[in-house]
Amino acid sequence: MRNLKIIHSPNRAINQLIEAIKINDTHVLKELYQNNYRKIEILVLKNSGTIDHAKDIYQDAFLAVWQNIKQNKFQPQNETALNGYLYTIAKNKWMDFLRSKEYKKTVVTSKLNNFSIKDTHLDLKDDDILKENRLQNVMQAFKDLGLPCRSLLMKFYFEKKSMNTIAEELQLDAASTRNKKYRCMQKLRKLALKEH
Amino acid sequence: MDLDKNMTQEELAHIERYINNNLTFEELSIFEEKLKNNPDFKNQVEDIKTLLFGIEKQALKEQLDTFHKDIPIEVIEDKKQPKFRFLNFKKTAVAAAVIIALGSFWYTNRSTPKSVFAKHYTPDPGLPTTMSSSDNFIFYDAMVNYKRKDYLTAISKWQPLLLTKPNNDTLNYFIGSAYLADGKEKEAIPYLKKVTLFKEETFKNDAFYYLGLAYLKVNNVELAKKNLNFSTIDNSKDILSELED
Repeated sequence: MRNLKIIHSPNRAINQLIEAIKINDTHVLKELYQNNYRKIEILVLKNSGTIDHAKDIYQDAFLAVWQNIKQNKFQPQNETALNGYLYTIAKNKWMDFLRSKEYKKTVVTSKLNNFSIKDTHLDLKDDDILKENRLQNVMQAFKDLGLPCRSLLMKFYFEKKSMNTIAEELQLDAASTRNKKYRCMQKLRKLALKEH
Repeated sequence: MDLDKNMTQEELAHIERYINNNLTFEELSIFEEKLKNNPDFKNQVEDIKTLLFGIEKQALKEQLDTFHKDIPIEVIEDKKQPKFRFLNFKKTAVAAAVIIALGSFWYTNRSTPKSVFAKHYTPDPGLPTTMSSSDNFIFYDAMVNYKRKDYLTAISKWQPLLLTKPNNDTLNYFIGSAYLADGKEKEAIPYLKKVTLFKEETFKNDAFYYLGLAYLKVNNVELAKKNLNFSTIDNSKDILSELED
C-alpha cells in the first residue's frame, strides 16, 4: 500500500497534465510551449539555423506532440518524458530540414553527425500519409472559412464550450445555435473537399 | 471526403456524440454494429473525426504565435532559483540598505510607521511556476498574474479555490500578499493573520513579517511590533529597532 501511494502522486500530476492538453487548456499549452522553446532555439542556432528556423521547426514539433497526445500515440510517464519527446521531435525535424534539398547545397554533411536518427513515433505508413493529407485539407479549409463560422466552430471544438454557453454568447436560443453550427460544418466539409 | 451523401443535422449530431463518447450503452452497440457492416458509414464517421480534429489543430496552430510573443527571456534561470535563496539575497541587500540609510539619516529623519513601511516593503516574489508542480493549474496560472503585478486578476482566480480549501496556508498567504502588494492592506490583514495561526510552518515566518508591515501601514505600531517580533527574518529586527527610536 505504501508503495502504491508513492507511485500514485506523480502519476496523477502527469495524468492531469495530459488531460489538460487534451482539452486544449490554453494556459497549460502556453506554459508547455514557453518552457521548452529556448532549448530548441539554442540547438538550431548552434547548428546553422536562424531564429526564424527555430520558431518554425518548434511550432511544427509542438503541433505534432499535441496531436500524438490527443490520439494516444504518445503517453508520457512523467513531465520530463514529455519535454524530452518534444525536444527529440524538434531535433529530428531540424535534422530533416538540414538533409533536405533546400539546404543540402550549402552544408557539409559531416556537420550532421551530431544527430541521432530514431523517432519511431513519426514513421508514417501509407494510410497515415493519406489521413495526414486529409487533415491538412481540413485545416486549410478551416483557415479559409468565414469569420462567423470560424469563431463558432472554434468555441465548440477547440474551447469545448457547451451549447448553452455558446448560445448565450451569441444571444440565440439553443436550436438556432445548433442549426448554425450544422450549416458551418457543411460549409467546412464542402471547402475541405475542394482542397482535395 | 465524402460529400455526395448529404448528412442531416441529426446524423451529424449522432456521430459527434459517438466521437465524444456520449452514446448510451444501447446506442453504442447499434452504432458499432453499423460501423462493422457499412463501410460507407465508417468512412463518413472517419471524415467527421478528421473534420473535428482539423478544426482543433488549425485553431491551436493559429495561437502559437501568441504563445511565442511573450516567452520570458530569463525562463531557464528563473525556474531554477529556489525561493529561499532569492529571499536571502533580498534580505542581505535590504539589510545593507537599512544600515546605510540609518547611518546617514540617523539624526535628521524621524520616521512615521507609514514611511517605515514604504522603506522596507517589497512584495513577496511569488513561487516559481514550473509545470512539474502544477497539481493545480489555476493556482499557478494566477501566480503568473501575480508575478506580472496583475494582483487583482490573481486574487480573482485564487478566491474560488479558497472556497474549497479555506484553510490552505499557501492560498491564504498569497491572497494576502496580493492585496498588500496592490495597496489594500486592510484586506490583506485577515488573510495573513490566518496564516500565522495555522500549524503549517512554510509561510508562517513570512506571514508574520508581512502582517507586521501591513499593521505598520495602517498605523498600528503595537500590533506591527508584536508580529514582527515573531518573524525571524533579519529585516524585522531592523524595522523593530527603527520603530524604537
